[in-house]
Amino acid sequence: MHDFIDNDLLSRLGSLPIESRVPMMGNVAGKHRSPHRGSSVEFAEYRKYVPGDDTRRLDWKAFARSDRFYIKEFEADTNLRAYFVVDASGSMNFAGGGESKIQYARRIAASLAYLLVNQGDAAGLSICTDKLHLEVPPSRRAAHLERFFSTLGKVEPTGETGLIDALHTIAEKIGQRAFVVILSDLFTDTAALGEALQHLRYRKHDISVFHLMDPLEIGFEFDRPHRFVDLEDGTSLVAEPNLIADEYKTALREFLTKVRAKCHDASADYQLVTTDTPLEPLLRDFLTARLPKSKH
Amino acid sequence: MLFLSPLLLWFLAAASVPIAIHLINRRRHKTIRWAAMQFLLKASRESRGKKKLRHILILTCRALAVAALAVAAARPIVSGLIGWGGGSIDTVVLLLDRSASMEIKPGDGLDSRRQIVLAKVRDAMADLGSARLVLIDSASGQAQEIPSPEVLDTLSTTAATDTTADFPALLSRAAEFLAETPGRSEIWLASDLQASNWRAEDERWAAARAALAALPQKPAVRVLSITGPTSANSSVRLLGSRRSGDELLLDLEVLRSGEARGSSSIPLTTQLDGSRTTENLTIPGQSLRLQKRVALPAASESGHGWLSIPADGNPRDNVAFFAYGPDRPGKSLIVAAAGESAGYLELAAAPPGFGNLETQRVDPAQAAAAITADLAAIIWAAPLPTGPAADALQSFLTSGGHVLFLPPGIPSTTTFNDLKWADPTEAPAGKFFILSDWNRSDGPLSDGIDGTPIAADRLKAIRRQIPLGNTTPLARWEDGEPALIRRVFDHGTAWFLGSIPDYTWSNLGDADVLLPAIQRMITAGNDRFDASYIAKLGSPASRLMPGETRSRIDDYGSPDPANSEHEAGIHRLGERLLALNRPPREDTPEILTREILDSILEGTNYTLLDQAGQAGDPNLSRDVWRAFLIAMLFFLISEALLCLPKKTRQEAIPQANPSPISNN
Repeated sequence: MHDFIDNDLLSRLGSLPIESRVPMMGNVAGKHRSPHRGSSVEFAEYRKYVPGDDTRRLDWKAFARSDRFYIKEFEADTNLRAYFVVDASGSMNFAGGGESKIQYARRIAASLAYLLVNQGDAAGLSICTDKLHLEVPPSRRAAHLERFFSTLGKVEPTGETGLIDALHTIAEKIGQRAFVVILSDLFTDTAALGEALQHLRYRKHDISVFHLMDPLEIGFEFDRPHRFVDLEDGTSLVAEPNLIADEYKTALREFLTKVRAKCHDASADYQLVTTDTPLEPLLRDFLTARLPKSKH
Repeated sequence: MLFLSPLLLWFLAAASVPIAIHLINRRRHKTIRWAAMQFLLKASRESRGKKKLRHILILTCRALAVAALAVAAARPIVSGLIGWGGGSIDTVVLLLDRSASMEIKPGDGLDSRRQIVLAKVRDAMADLGSARLVLIDSASGQAQEIPSPEVLDTLSTTAATDTTADFPALLSRAAEFLAETPGRSEIWLASDLQASNWRAEDERWAAARAALAALPQKPAVRVLSITGPTSANSSVRLLGSRRSGDELLLDLEVLRSGEARGSSSIPLTTQLDGSRTTENLTIPGQSLRLQKRVALPAASESGHGWLSIPADGNPRDNVAFFAYGPDRPGKSLIVAAAGESAGYLELAAAPPGFGNLETQRVDPAQAAAAITADLAAIIWAAPLPTGPAADALQSFLTSGGHVLFLPPGIPSTTTFNDLKWADPTEAPAGKFFILSDWNRSDGPLSDGIDGTPIAADRLKAIRRQIPLGNTTPLARWEDGEPALIRRVFDHGTAWFLGSIPDYTWSNLGDADVLLPAIQRMITAGNDRFDASYIAKLGSPASRLMPGETRSRIDDYGSPDPANSEHEAGIHRLGERLLALNRPPREDTPEILTREILDSILEGTNYTLLDQAGQAGDPNLSRDVWRAFLIAMLFFLISEALLCLPKKTRQEAIPQANPSPISNN
């Protein structure tokens, strides 16, 4: 059993479905809307017959009433394929006294993956650094989850981030619409991040961003000078935090504002999450917010 | 600045504690592996400049606050006299001005300047603690170690005197003393800065400064000046005294202080051999000069007395003492060939019915034998003397006699002490040599004691002989040539007048010039006999000669036996009767300017503490620890203000964990 899986939590969240915000294009029938009109049970609309349409879908009753050919269309439900993109750069290893960002990311990814597979959807994993890009293809099978969890558990954050490249790769590689969940501290170039998100958006993927930050990174409260060693490239800086706190927070604020704007531009769900946030309310709010309005 | 608890100054080292803590903290930094490095680097770049300056200011305030606390704990004393450059002083040499002018009071009911300065020095010495105090007073000029500052104002060597002060000599004496005294020392000059006491033109200043500069450890020089307003004061002084038969002619001057306006009436009391008379003098302005005739008791051989005015701002200048001896005729000798000129000279030297005057004419050949020590003056209207006559004349001059040389009337190359006559010259036809410029305050042509001028401009000459020699003329002819010159010989004076009382030469015989000039010379020559009864304090005559003892015999005031040699009065020195008065220079009101003080104390880096107008402030030093506590509070408040966060509006960092942004 992996330490990032909380069975109690999963059982409590099991009643909440994970909904996609955009119609999905799955391989099999499922509970998610599909962009295709098909032979499902839920009537969608009538449209005029045009040559080439399948004559089997003609509504003869309507023809009898109106002497015109109409095609009766239904909503097609399909399954959802989710990609969890986990940033495994060195910065994700930071733990300001509590849980590290990578561990927190593991818990989110594992919990959501479990819930997805449990509701018949497929979950895949993409782990990226500047030198490594591990990938677990999405699958609906329950046995697949073990591979998912095992890969997730083996992640050792190191080096600089490869998030931007990973997002572009996913955008190009996944042919069908998917639910892309990004778990990262996003310590990368915000312009490049925006482009990567726009790329995903262009491919009509449903994007959710969990922006993970340590409380210490936001509060920046220290009681003495520190030598700060970069987790990614090892450079160091001796500083009196109290002296530079204002400038630090200003720079952080600018960064967060930019990231939020980039996510907004790409129609991505954005959540700034500190690693001291209890997971259950976080996921409950996340799932609830994604429910269609009528199901609320 | 001095400290009552100097050991606590070691806590000044604590001022380095905030800096040390800062440095140690910087070295004792904690290492943390950090993710958000990009913001840290940016913040570090932007925090340079103002932030660093602010931090340095905070550290400085902390250090200064600690330092101020340490200094306050050490009980600092700031003294105007001691100044801020003070520290541990081993020896203080006090040069005390005990001159008569120091007895003036800054205001009614206040102590004299001398007492004020002594109190200030006493207090300052108490603050100094164990420093050794050596007094060199202006009256004795001797260095005296003072066992305790507390007794300073009770010593006879700090008491009031009627003397003057000689600061170049005092400073030289201090330098001599310090040359033999190791350790850190200071010289305090306590004075009213009376210019006549400081003698700015005296060449001895250069030697005094050099002596100070040559000391192995240069002392700090501090001038404690007591100037400023004073209470109303008048003074009386004796300009001259001469016995004429049974009368004593006293030339007096009564001075009022500079602030006095209008005329005033001052009672003048005359005491003569036990009897007193008082009369009122009306002083029209700042001063009044008068000649007072005092009738002497019949057949009085000698006697003494004093003239006084009522007590006022300075009790030391309200009296003038006099003494007199037997009546002496004013004897003069005329060395000239018989003739008109000699006749006029005889008439001018001993006018018929005019006092007790005697004169005798001799030919130049008999002059050497006729010159005697009892003569008051000699009128030499002949070629300049040579041989025995010149020697006798030289001796007469040296002993205090006066000689008037008149032209011989013929060309002569003979010289007397480098002085000689030019050849006779005549004025152009129809014109005269006219006396146009003469000294009205000095010499035989000076104005009278009541200010009446001599009618010297009436002197017209047809012929003249110019006196030649390296001297300063006291009168000039219209064309600028000297008409009257003077050469001083020790106590006596030789005068050269460039024409003779002969109608073929000039109208000198008309008595406008000749009579007063010759009478003044005879009087001046005769005064040396009367002068043996009057002297000024500090003069050689006022000192005891071997075998003499001093006793004061007048009844004026309250004499201090321990100080009698420095007090004015009627003194008997052995067989001598002497009226001793304060030196005339003590009555001059001029105060030394700062520029002159700078020049005479050049190179000493002296400090001037002027107590002008602060006579009521008894302290030279002040306990200033409160000021340092206030300074500490100031630094702490400044530090707190600098530590306050900036009031600029900071946008809040976006809250974490909001509901996801939904763009659908």
